[in-house]
Amino acid sequence: MSIIQKLKNKVRSRSIHVSYVNVGSCNGCDIEILACLSPRYDLEQYGIYVHNNPREADILLITGALCEQWDDKLVSLWEKIPEPKAAITIGNCPVSGCVFNRRGSYVNPPVSKHIPVAASIPGCPPRPSEIVSTILSLAPEVFKDFEEKKR
Amino acid sequence: MSSSIIYYIREFCRPEWLKKFFFAKTPLLEAPAHFRDYPQLTGNECTHELRCMMICPSPGAIEVLKMDDGTWAPVIYKGHCIRCGLCVEACPDNVLRSGDLLERNKYEKTYFLASYFLHVDDAKCMKCGNCAVACPINKEIDPRLGSSAASSNDDVIMRVKDGRLTFLHPEKCTGCKTCEKTCPNGAITVARVVEGVQDED
Repeated sequence: MSIIQKLKNKVRSRSIHVSYVNVGSCNGCDIEILACLSPRYDLEQYGIYVHNNPREADILLITGALCEQWDDKLVSLWEKIPEPKAAITIGNCPVSGCVFNRRGSYVNPPVSKHIPVAASIPGCPPRPSEIVSTILSLAPEVFKDFEEKKR
Repeated sequence: MSSSIIYYIREFCRPEWLKKFFFAKTPLLEAPAHFRDYPQLTGNECTHELRCMMICPSPGAIEVLKMDDGTWAPVIYKGHCIRCGLCVEACPDNVLRSGDLLERNKYEKTYFLASYFLHVDDAKCMKCGNCAVACPINKEIDPRLGSSAASSNDDVIMRVKDGRLTFLHPEKCTGCKTCEKTCPNGAITVARVVEGVQDED
C-alpha cells in the first residue's frame, strides 16, 4: 500500500461528508437526522459533516417511500455524487413503504431498485445513535483502499 | 496583536490540545431500558392465538409461522415493524419481550383483554350452516357437526337451531374469522375488541 493511500485512508476516516434527501417521507426520519447534529449526539465529533449538496457528499442518506416524481430525479442526484460514494436508507419507508404503501398511493418502494443501496437502517424512525453507528461502520468498508480496490 | 498570534500557535501545539481536538470521541448513547426495541423471543411457548398479528398496526410486520420443529413462533420483519410494542403487550403467554416492557406492565398491572363479538344478519343468513361446519373450534368440540344440523351438541359456539343460526357459546371464539370467509352471503361478522385494563388493587 502506497503512502498516499494510507494518508487518504486516514483523512477519509475523519471526514465523512453526508447529504440527505427526503423522497417523500413524513419528516420523522429527517428530524432524527437533525437530532444527530444536536449536542446530545454530536455527529461532527466522529468526523461526519452534513451538507445539502450532493456534489460535496460521500454518503447519501435517503428517507421516504419514493414518490413518483422522484423516480428519475433520485437517479440524477445519485450520479452527481463523486466517487467513492454510498447510499444509506433511513427508516422503514425506503424498504417497505411503511404507512404510505397502501392501495391507491403514488409511492414506489423499495429505493434499492432505483439506486444501489449499501445499507438500510430500519425503524420508524430509527434512533439517532443507530444512524451514527451505521454511517461509522459503513464508511471504512466503502472508502478504505478505494483506489487500490478500483485498480 | 503579534503576541496573541504567538499565544494561539503555542496553544494549538500543546499535545494535550491536539489530542482533544483530533481524537476526542464520546461513546454513542445507549438505548434506555424503556425503549421498545424490536421484539425478541423469550422462549415461552406460543399457543397460536394470533393476537399479536391482530393488534399489529403495521402491514406485514409480524407473522406467526410454524417452525421446522412443529412449534409456532412469531417472526418480526424489520423494515415493516414500527417498534410500537403492542404485540408484546397483547400476547397472553409473554412469548415476546421488548426492553423492560413486560416488567413494567407487571409492575403497573396493565394488560390487554381481547374479546370477540359474533353477529349475524338474519335477513341475509340463509341457514346453510357453512359457518358452523367451517369453524375450527366447533370441529374440535364436535367432529360430527354437519351442515344439516344433524348433531344436537349444545357445547359448540354456533349452529343452526330451530331454523335460525344461534350462538350458544360465543365466549369460546378465538377470532379466526373463518366463518366470515366461508359465509356465501356475508351475513356473519366477527368483531375483535381489545381493551386496555389496569387492576386497581
